[in-house]
Amino acid sequence: MAEKGDRLIWFWGRECPHCKQIRPTVERLESEMNIKLDHLEVWHDMNNQKLMQEYGDKISEACGGELGVPAFYNERTGKALCGYRIPLEKFKEWASGK
Amino acid sequence: MQKTFWRCHVCNDIHYGLRPPEVCPTCGAKNAFARCDPAEVGKVQQPTEAIDTEEKVIQVWKEFAASNPICRLAEDENEVRMLAGGVLENMRNRGLKYCPCRITSGNLEKDLLLICPCNFVRQKNWTELGECWCGLFKKKED
Ligand code: SF4
Ligand SMILES: [Zn+2]
Repeated sequence: MAEKGDRLIWFWGRECPHCKQIRPTVERLESEMNIKLDHLEVWHDMNNQKLMQEYGDKISEACGGELGVPAFYNERTGKALCGYRIPLEKFKEWASGK
Repeated sequence: MQKTFWRCHVCNDIHYGLRPPEVCPTCGAKNAFARCDPAEVGKVQQPTEAIDTEEKVIQVWKEFAASNPICRLAEDENEVRMLAGGVLENMRNRGLKYCPCRITSGNLEKDLLLICPCNFVRQKNWTELGECWCGLFKKKED
């Protein structure tokens, strides 16, 4: 697992249907790029929730104004993606820092 | 202006808001509301049934959607049940039935806007995709 500051993070919620829907795409991204995202659950782990709040500005911008899940944050580039309709290609760009 | 409690002097209905209702929604009396002391409110109101199971939460959502002209409940029963489980978890852990697909910010005023059902018509997803953030409520096709 990457160090803090160097991670690709997936903020997800255990009871969020869209997080469930996007999981196969996340897994495909991980296997095709041979990487591992940090899967951080936010409703049952306060530390993860706090971390998501720390990155709140970027994430809520990507989510259309609020802190929603599924949300993805690249700690290296500071870029966030949000929602469950992210095409694999876009994911790959985000992960490789383009 | 701050919201406060109002009590119908005919049937003891309690209203919480900036202004009293002109007509009491329960007994129909006009101009019947007087400002009410918060300590009295708890005594005037009888305890009602808790909404503490998935079935009850889903029933509330169904009633809400049925009375609302613009939305309907999502058709996927498993997803609806999953969301009901989520709001109940949040109720148990945080005291309110918060949206399972967004998180609280720590600012109570903002967080109170996350109680389900929220005011989803102001969300981008509602205008663009025709559904609330979690996909629980969808635009009614006409
Ligand atoms: S987005 Fe949907 S599920 Fe979430 S609080 Fe609003 S109405 Fe409920
Ligand atoms: Zn009345």
